[in-house]
Amino acid sequence: MFNPYLPYPVRIAEIRVETEDKNLRTFKFEFLDPDDENKFAYMPGQFAELSVPGQGEIPIGIASSPSEKGHVLFTVNRVGQVSSYMHNMKKDDIMGIRGPLGHPYPLDTLQGKNLLIIAGGFAVTTLRSTIIWLLEPENRPNYGKITFVYGARTPGLLLYKDEWMAWDKRDDIDVFVTIDREVPDWNYRVGFVPAVTKEVCPAPENTAALICGPPIMIKFTQPVLEEAGYTPDSIIMSLENRMKCGLGICGRCNVGPEYVCKDGPVFTLAQLNQLPKEY
Amino acid sequence: MPEYIVEENALKDFLQSISKGRVLLSPQGVGDKCQITETTPDKVTLNFTNTHISPKTLFFPQTEWLMSFQKDHSKPHPYVYQDLGDKAKSAVVFGIRPCDAKGLSVSNKVFQNDRFTDPYWKGKYESVIKVGLACKDPFPQCFCVAMGGSPYGATGLDVLAFPSEKGLGLKPITDEGAKLLAEANLKEADLSSELKSQEEAAIKAQGIPDDYSPIDHRGLLNLFQDPQWQSIAENCLNCGVCTFICPTCHCFDIQDEENSEGGVRMRNWDTCMSWLFTVHGTGHNPRPSKTERVRQRFMHKLKYIPMKQNGDRGCTGCGRCVVLCPVNIDIRSVALRMSTLNMQKQA
Amino acid sequence: MPSLEETTQKIRETAKKALADGKAEVVIGYKKGTYPLSTAPFFARTPEDCDQLIWSNFARINLANYLPGRPGKVAVVAKGCDARSIVGQVAENQFHKDNLYVIGVPCTGMVDNNLIAAKEQRPYRDYSETLDTITLKGADFSTEIKKEEVLRRNCRTCANRTPKTADELVGPEVPGAQADDFADLKELHSKSPEERMEYFKDLIKDCLRCYACRNACPLCYCPVCFVDETRPQWLGKSTDPMDTLTFHLLRGLHCAGRCTSCGACETACPVNIKVREFNRITEETVMDEWGYEAGLSWEQKPPLTVFQPDDEASFIK
Repeated sequence: MFNPYLPYPVRIAEIRVETEDKNLRTFKFEFLDPDDENKFAYMPGQFAELSVPGQGEIPIGIASSPSEKGHVLFTVNRVGQVSSYMHNMKKDDIMGIRGPLGHPYPLDTLQGKNLLIIAGGFAVTTLRSTIIWLLEPENRPNYGKITFVYGARTPGLLLYKDEWMAWDKRDDIDVFVTIDREVPDWNYRVGFVPAVTKEVCPAPENTAALICGPPIMIKFTQPVLEEAGYTPDSIIMSLENRMKCGLGICGRCNVGPEYVCKDGPVFTLAQLNQLPKEY
Repeated sequence: MPEYIVEENALKDFLQSISKGRVLLSPQGVGDKCQITETTPDKVTLNFTNTHISPKTLFFPQTEWLMSFQKDHSKPHPYVYQDLGDKAKSAVVFGIRPCDAKGLSVSNKVFQNDRFTDPYWKGKYESVIKVGLACKDPFPQCFCVAMGGSPYGATGLDVLAFPSEKGLGLKPITDEGAKLLAEANLKEADLSSELKSQEEAAIKAQGIPDDYSPIDHRGLLNLFQDPQWQSIAENCLNCGVCTFICPTCHCFDIQDEENSEGGVRMRNWDTCMSWLFTVHGTGHNPRPSKTERVRQRFMHKLKYIPMKQNGDRGCTGCGRCVVLCPVNIDIRSVALRMSTLNMQKQA
Repeated sequence: MPSLEETTQKIRETAKKALADGKAEVVIGYKKGTYPLSTAPFFARTPEDCDQLIWSNFARINLANYLPGRPGKVAVVAKGCDARSIVGQVAENQFHKDNLYVIGVPCTGMVDNNLIAAKEQRPYRDYSETLDTITLKGADFSTEIKKEEVLRRNCRTCANRTPKTADELVGPEVPGAQADDFADLKELHSKSPEERMEYFKDLIKDCLRCYACRNACPLCYCPVCFVDETRPQWLGKSTDPMDTLTFHLLRGLHCAGRCTSCGACETACPVNIKVREFNRITEETVMDEWGYEAGLSWEQKPPLTVFQPDDEASFIK
């Protein structure tokens, strides 16, 4: 019988420090058994439980795209016991990953639409996965205009710098990266995400917005979109709650009758409007 | 399917027969020590109220080791968790009460949900044949009828046993139950009318006029935002007794423990009454006070689970929390309040 | 002795007066429970509410538990042991004395439902009580039980039945039992350390780690209990006997010199563990070392919170 609690063993192939405060590191994992990579078939927006034997597990969004073969990427913020332990692990250490868990962004039903992708801080991870996937030559023609708004407090807190700088040079995606306050040698935007969104968001017709960020950013961006004419079912968000099993069983991450782990983490605003605000 | 009768002096032989090649489980001990344990046919009694805490321990023990790893690099797979395997033994449980069997069937749909199957639960749940014992005389805490059940309910059972005038009546419920009885060489008897009149009498004896079904018609957000939760929660100590002894509470925590040689990953019962249950790594807690936590418990049982399980409630009226809550928060009163408030609001 | 009904009346009058005089915005007392042999804590905010307050042989929970952190002026119905807990909370700065009005009830002891269950196994749907008797009523029977036969353990040896620090007493003082000689601990003391370890392991073998004992305890008000700490995590969360025993031993030690033997922990325990056993030992030690009993006056200082220059210090190496 398949055991969804049992992690696939992985080797840490690379660790990259992402932010100037060194609180975010991206881990590149390779499966010890190549067969496990096939079993771990995922789509952007899903997450996995990172498992450190003897320490525990943490649910983290998958930062790599399924089109990137041979490895998976996770960007981990140092907050609790497991993530702090991981920040002291080395290349070639063995740990585990369990998943994929949750539902991905509904990219299949969004075909033919323009996409407005809004990210704040380190919540950009699963949206990086989404953009890499969308920009693949076999996927890009299936979607309309793609607009990417990404904000952080300072330049040093922006993730995946090389990548979004490269996207910025392409003509099949519009990139608007912003920081809170003016600093020297900054060549991109300054201002909060909601303000930038208001300025650059495409017309709501035939457009969907994917949003992932801290609660304060979502709180102020949501009205901007609604004002611009986006309907609740075209605003798609990803929730976080404390999780353990990731399978809709252990009972703690529910928002009303829905489990964030099993039934989410991706919900439309239309769905969330029907649910209690317990997240 | 036919019913069968086992005369009083043949009970031991019957139990011998159904436990052939299987472990026999049955309620043992009295009062606060009564629980379902491994036993032998001569020790089985029909004379008990119900087990003190719910029999969920059979399939979902308070602590369960799931997997282990070792740190010795000279051995295969160091630092890789290995499944500790399914230790389920083929068994028959005799004397589980209808409320508990129904409660476990509610949990079964959580452990085997629309996306995932929990192998640790499934292995144990499905290797046990469940022979239930109907409740002819309800106790003061019993309210299964108000929760859509019956003291003679068959949900979650393979066989329903009940005290008949002629001995012990047995009604097969599932194919597995029918097979079990067919192999036991029993006397067939038509007990359907006796069963029916007994059930009607037992339902009446429970004497619960309250119909809690209006909860079903009340909107999720309307119930959630009800200001009454604060006063219901005011008494609560957030101790979690209600969740630990409940047949449908199934929440757990996953923990790793290690020593110098290796470690295990285990699960332990957890409770939504604890602030720790939902606190985020950032310190943010979506259920910061006991009001939210108390609401979660009642909403989960009486609204969320019915929404997900075709109206079946996450409370089956066993009454354990009614008896054991140290501050007398009575789920019957709460359910009534949830339904009558509805009537006032929508009027 | 006034009857239960007379005490009930007196509590209602006192509660109404406390509300009317502005001594309290809420009176915390007991109301009749929904289940035989139970009461429920009740928060009375209006004169009509006050008419639901009662006195009973089942007023077991210690209402001081609701005080720490509660805003506003509060009146609370307190037995002798509860009033002592309140003194402790005030001494430990958990509640301000100025916001408090203690309605003291001289108490003749509370009933242990397990002892009733041992006497009458037949199902009863109704009951009645007087100060000295409990009557259970089943479909075809009625049993009268003498209260003194089913008193809780702590109530049997209680020397402080009349609250000494109440703002108002609702009845005449009642004599306490003889001074506590800790006779219940004699057998335990005769055991070897190994035997004692076995005794305690056996005592807690049914523990569910639900922490009801802690949550029902008026002294367990820590914002984060040591068992809930995660960084570092002091204690495993499984049914491992050493983890479970560590919880109970540490809780016992944390209550040293503070426990008033109110028995709320044992009342709350769903599996009837004699939790108070752990507290009894520290209670005795504190009595032996300092001749101290917790919560008997507003002036006394708990010995474990006081430093004096001439304190015994030779054990610190």
